[in-house]
Amino acid sequence: MKERYKKYTVDIPEDMKIPYACIVESPKVNGEQPQMLTGGWRIYRPVVDHDKCVLCKSCILACPDATVLLVDGGQKIGFNLDYCKGCGLCTWVCPVNAIDRVPELDFEDGVPFQDALFLLPHVERLYAD
Amino acid sequence: MAKTIEVTVWATGVVQDKEGRDVCLVLTEAANQEGKFTQAFDNYVDLPDRINVQVRKYARISDAEIENKFEYENHRPNIIGVTEATIMKGINVCKGLQEGGFLVINTTKDPEALLKYVPEKERKKLKAVATIDAIGIAPEQLIDYSGAEGAEDVSAIGAGLGSVMAGAIAAVSGIVKKESILAAAANRTAAKRGYDEVKIKVLK
Repeated sequence: MKERYKKYTVDIPEDMKIPYACIVESPKVNGEQPQMLTGGWRIYRPVVDHDKCVLCKSCILACPDATVLLVDGGQKIGFNLDYCKGCGLCTWVCPVNAIDRVPELDFEDGVPFQDALFLLPHVERLYAD
Repeated sequence: MAKTIEVTVWATGVVQDKEGRDVCLVLTEAANQEGKFTQAFDNYVDLPDRINVQVRKYARISDAEIENKFEYENHRPNIIGVTEATIMKGINVCKGLQEGGFLVINTTKDPEALLKYVPEKERKKLKAVATIDAIGIAPEQLIDYSGAEGAEDVSAIGAGLGSVMAGAIAAVSGIVKKESILAAAANRTAAKRGYDEVKIKVLK
């Protein structure tokens, strides 16, 4: 930065810096972005009936968040429940009706529990006792 | 300065956007009729135009004029409303709760069944937890954007689920009288049933 502009700038403390327009980084590891967990949006969880499933992989193509995966060495359909929003598209495209939508509260786990939606260091101060 | 009672309502984006807002509007309108000072506003940090995202709606009720005009978030709420119980599984809805707070949830389950989703720190501060089958009494109304972002609300305020939740919150916490809630809500029957049928579990 040029020297003459320095008097117009403000030094932001390290704990108050946020990304520009709150845009999070692009996924790096396994296509996952832990800053943008969407599993908490889910009201109905997709559950696969493996006896009915014919592995046509329509659900993998239909999923808008790429949360449908092949597990067990490509022999079964599985879901990445940290990011599945429960939109129900996989249920809708399935030609053999092998995917059910089950209320999320019927299960004990499977949803990443977040302490806050947008937890920034300086916001944590405001919630303190 | 008189104490301001802060209410935070958690709802799902778009689907319950109007209902979450109605809970706050019915409560503040009822308090207004009792001569109190009120504020009701949405949270746009939550990006509420994504379907089923968790969004927050806020209300503030006070006996004296509310001096906090420029902070659009209740960091230390007294009362939490949850219009869709599944939200509690993914997020700590009670974060920042003040001592002696109330939690009101829309679900068919008993109050004890959902306490496990509240972390230990916040559970100690809860005075009472209550559940109400709000969708069974009055479902969500037509999904549209009327009433959002300052536009006129063509559907009546408190036409559906929102008035049930507002009635339940009034019954649990006692911040406003039953008559004021009934006068403020468009769906009087739903508000009355919400007030009468809420299941309360007092924790301390």
